[in-house]
Amino acid sequence: MSPAHTTYLQKAGITLLVVLTGYAILNLLWQGIRSYPDLPATDPVTIHETRIAQLLPLLPASDAVGYVTTVGNDRIFAAEKSFTNVEFLAQYVLTQYTLAPRIVRNSPDLPLVVGNFIDGPPPAGFLEKNGLVPLKDFGDGLILYRRERKH
Amino acid sequence: MIFFFVASLLLSLASGILLTFLFFPSRKSAAADLAFRLFAGAGLGFGVTSCLYFVCLLTGLTRYLSAIDLGVCLLLGIPYFILFRRPAARGGQPLPKTGQPSRFPILLAGIFSIELVASVISFVFAFLKEPHGRWDAWLIWNMHARFLFRGGEHWRDAFASGLDWSHWDYPLLLPLSIARGWQYIGGESLSIPAVMAFVFTFLTLGLLWSGLSLLRSRSHGYLAAMVLMGTPLFISMGAAQFADIPLAFFMLTTLVLLLLHARSPENQPGALILAGLAAGSCAWTKNEGLLFLLIVTGSLLCKAVYAGGWRSALNRTAGFLAGALPILLMVIYFKTQLSPANDLFSGFGPAAAAAKLTDFGRYAEIAKAFFITGLSFTQGLIDVRVGMHLNPGAVSILLLIVYLFLAGVRIDGRDRIIVFQSTAVLGLMLIGYFFIYVLTPLDLSYHLATSLNRLLLQLWPSVIFLCFMVAGSPETSIEDRPAIAPAQPDTRSTKVHKPRITREPK
Repeated sequence: MSPAHTTYLQKAGITLLVVLTGYAILNLLWQGIRSYPDLPATDPVTIHETRIAQLLPLLPASDAVGYVTTVGNDRIFAAEKSFTNVEFLAQYVLTQYTLAPRIVRNSPDLPLVVGNFIDGPPPAGFLEKNGLVPLKDFGDGLILYRRERKH
Repeated sequence: MIFFFVASLLLSLASGILLTFLFFPSRKSAAADLAFRLFAGAGLGFGVTSCLYFVCLLTGLTRYLSAIDLGVCLLLGIPYFILFRRPAARGGQPLPKTGQPSRFPILLAGIFSIELVASVISFVFAFLKEPHGRWDAWLIWNMHARFLFRGGEHWRDAFASGLDWSHWDYPLLLPLSIARGWQYIGGESLSIPAVMAFVFTFLTLGLLWSGLSLLRSRSHGYLAAMVLMGTPLFISMGAAQFADIPLAFFMLTTLVLLLLHARSPENQPGALILAGLAAGSCAWTKNEGLLFLLIVTGSLLCKAVYAGGWRSALNRTAGFLAGALPILLMVIYFKTQLSPANDLFSGFGPAAAAAKLTDFGRYAEIAKAFFITGLSFTQGLIDVRVGMHLNPGAVSILLLIVYLFLAGVRIDGRDRIIVFQSTAVLGLMLIGYFFIYVLTPLDLSYHLATSLNRLLLQLWPSVIFLCFMVAGSPETSIEDRPAIAPAQPDTRSTKVHKPRITREPK
């Protein structure tokens, strides 16, 4: 192949690279600009954190607390693994994220239990079965429970 | 608050830059050389200062953290100013002299600058959308930082908490760097993890540009950086505050330093020691970094045996491991004293391994995922509910292949062995990742869908770097003269220097 032909191909390569990378970069920028007006004033993690942070004055500084939600504890991780629902796991993780360094166990078997029912009430009879008595209802599906008896 | 945070950043930066000057004596008259020290040194500095903070946590000296950081900076700075302040005493290899600037690099610099601004704005938009980062940021990295910072004297408790889903066996460079920033400002701030994410994203970009500017030409550096900026997943994962981008940075730093070591006269060990430090930082950032450290060490040993016999091999590998050792000691302590067992390997017996290794359906599923994700991962995060589908987009590995096909392949004679070695390292990393999927106890489809794109992204800056290390010269094609004159001949390298090799299209 002649040097002139090689140079022509190299120019084509550089042009292709500059055009395609430029398109990709500007396209990403455009997506950001387009979605900016639709951004909520507060992001979902901060909203969840503010909500869960109401519990802090009532919790001990370092002890573990339990956790219950709309579905049974065994379904929180299973729903995420099967991609059917990632929200329950996200809500549990964000509760732990907010309450750290306290440990939030995915279990109702602790003296104090966080009830996070933003997606609806727990299964019928679940609270009674686990001896969970409301200690304080913060509204918006957030309730702190005290465990009265063990089954 | 800002003052103390800036102080924490500057102390990290200064430690890393001083290390580069101490171990890799200065070259003359090159902005790219200073830029390389800034970008590589800053990242290495975060590795060093995260280790110092870890030692402070272990010894209960966190209140003296800033004094200890400052002391280390002075310890590194004093020998530099005593031993190396006179250029004549440095003994470094002069860099290529810059000739008359040509229009082509200036044009590329202009386009690059516009694209850099666009990428910074895209990063900011992504941050504004999710200021806490994405899923793994608050499930793992920022969560661990909170436990380390909020835990006080009981910071160790989290590792024995039984919260396996948060992967407490993951190394601590990123959480420690975030918690260190909070320690400096005396409280938590969302901006610190975000700034760390921003810094590592754009350090990677800067390192790619400056590394190629040093080793090839500025035009190669600009074009490579454009490819990385044009990778939507790179920007979105950077803003997502995951540890994959810091890991990609340290992998790239290791390879660039190995290339610089191969180019240095008499193969001075300084760059090799720094490469070891960078590889050690990989192991301190993510578990995949341990595999990288192992593979680089093995490849270095093999290459040195091939090139110079066992004595030379052991000397060079020892130099590399000496650089990695300080951080490796942290990793070993962490893994043996604090970390719970890894979820991929706990309760994993030979029978289960043998069953998976002989299940060829798994190989087919993984190979298919590697193919589809390999062509598509650059395009952003996949919707795990939809699964993987082919979407190469504008910038992918295909673009690099087409570019190499058009621009031709030109490998400097001095770089042949090290380029081959670096390619082998990346290839072995891919093979390693492949077999981790073969053996995974997790559901295979779930594991592939939630991690493969990130694993490939870890290698992507290094792949781009190697691609442009072997690509034909853009300057000669545009103006038929280089912006930077050829390096002064070195008698060792000219023996193996080959004329330009162009792979012609058929």
